[in-house]
Amino acid sequence: MIRLENMLPRAFLLGIMKMVDMSGPLETIRWMQSIGEELAVIEGPGFEGARMDTDIVYLPISPFGNEVVEFSRIYEKPEQFSEIIGTMSNLKTKSAAPWEFPAMSHVLDVLQHSYNQKRAELAGTRFYNLGSKSPLGDVRQYNTEAIERAGMSKENVAEILDKAFFVYFIEHPEKE
Amino acid sequence: MNPIEAERLYENSVRILKKNQHEKGGFYASPPGTRYPFIYPRDHSMCIYGAVEAGLMDEARKGLEFILNSQKPLGEFSQRYDVDGNDASYKELQIDGNGLVLFVMGKYFKATGGSFYEEMADKAFVASHWETIEKAVQFILMNKNEEVNLIHTINSIHEYPAYEHGFEIYANCACCAGIYAAVDMGKALGKDVSVWEQQADIIRQAIFTRLYSPRRRSFVKCIRVKDKNSKPIGYDSFASIVHDVDAVEYAPAYFELISDYDIKTVSTVRRIHQQLWDSEIGGLNRYPEYWGRNNGGYGPWCHFTCQLANHHIETDNREMAENYLDWVVDMAHEYTLPEHVSTIERFELWLEDYTNGKILRDSKVKLIEDIRAHPKWKDGLAYVTIPLIWPHAEFIISYKKYRDKFNPA
Repeated sequence: MIRLENMLPRAFLLGIMKMVDMSGPLETIRWMQSIGEELAVIEGPGFEGARMDTDIVYLPISPFGNEVVEFSRIYEKPEQFSEIIGTMSNLKTKSAAPWEFPAMSHVLDVLQHSYNQKRAELAGTRFYNLGSKSPLGDVRQYNTEAIERAGMSKENVAEILDKAFFVYFIEHPEKE
Repeated sequence: MNPIEAERLYENSVRILKKNQHEKGGFYASPPGTRYPFIYPRDHSMCIYGAVEAGLMDEARKGLEFILNSQKPLGEFSQRYDVDGNDASYKELQIDGNGLVLFVMGKYFKATGGSFYEEMADKAFVASHWETIEKAVQFILMNKNEEVNLIHTINSIHEYPAYEHGFEIYANCACCAGIYAAVDMGKALGKDVSVWEQQADIIRQAIFTRLYSPRRRSFVKCIRVKDKNSKPIGYDSFASIVHDVDAVEYAPAYFELISDYDIKTVSTVRRIHQQLWDSEIGGLNRYPEYWGRNNGGYGPWCHFTCQLANHHIETDNREMAENYLDWVVDMAHEYTLPEHVSTIERFELWLEDYTNGKILRDSKVKLIEDIRAHPKWKDGLAYVTIPLIWPHAEFIISYKKYRDKFNPA
């Protein structure tokens, strides 16, 4: 049900679809990343979520889970979202630093990851998304290069994903 | 009260404060390897206050440096930080943190001056952080609703939005007292802080009128309003009053906005004692059992018991002051205080409720193990999170006040 006061999250998701139609998936990705980074600067350095130990962060709940599920009940799997996920996958494949990319289980991970990475950068660290779980079902995605860089195994990450939706690793440059 | 045991608890509380300050200045909420090995501005601020009262001025200054340098760009102090001062929050806004940091900074500032306040107070420290103070005050005022002249928050001292989302009394008192502290420090530095003072007066007046119920003769917990900018707030979807008793309804006096002798304070404290003093195991509960979020089992809290002891000390009621402090001393295990105490029966009831309701988080598994493994379990008591550092700071504050009043050296 839409009421004007709760329209904004759904409007943003619909806006992503419209943006892909108007400017293509790549431009839409850049647009979402710029939003994430700008919000991160306002929020400042930090890492949101629970901590396993000092370097592993996880989100026990999916930040946009409710909105994503509600949206999917109306639009199911929009083609535009698949285009974004496909484009991100191509960018990762061609990148010299594939560990920097999100383990994509939803298009909003682009926004979320750019925000998280910028906040980590402001804290003088790097932030890798090792794995994620879709709020639409137990579909898991992993970033194997990020997992390797974190010195972990896919099984380790899978174990954390049993109780979480996102798993991250904080890399401290001075510890390298 | 057993004076030897009380003195030993005081001494160990000071040791615990010192031991649980990270080298970068943050006071852990609980030691590394336990439940809360992070720096929570609320707990951290109270540890700074405890350090000031214990004369640990270097530790207090270092604690202030840590938190002031960790301020977020808009002026907010987060829910929690890691030891490096990076935001590690997982909950929404808790604006009392802003008020508390300013309030305890004011305590430090005055303590450095002592009776030679003007000449000796650590003005250089305050001056070096003046920009941070300004941003902290501005952030508080950014969250002030112009219709009711109160500060809006999502979480407050219990981190429980169901009862704290809106205009909540502890957060408002902490923020108001924080602005007054900033005003005092600003005046000492020769700054024009007249607008802040005017705003603090307006908020204080709103606390006394909008958050006080003459018919109940008590301060009330919260005007529940979802959105800070709802206008008019009467149409907000949450619009309601939380008038249940809560230990923090003592906050106006705790934060020195009203006298402990004022009838509003006296009658509020009476209601708190009547409804929250635990008839089975003593001590003060923080809110009614039916609020239903009682991790580890419903039961009394050491730091709220200490906070209310302050009232009885201030009003010369030695018997009640000793009742309260005595209970805290009795609950100490090896001169160490837990977050709160429950009974085996209540612990099992909580576990049943949370298991059946499927709201028992994985993170509670360790909590449950620790409670059952603690030696007090065999005495029939559930000790939840021991040690928690905050109650040691509160004990230092209230016991020192008690000692100064009733047993002057």
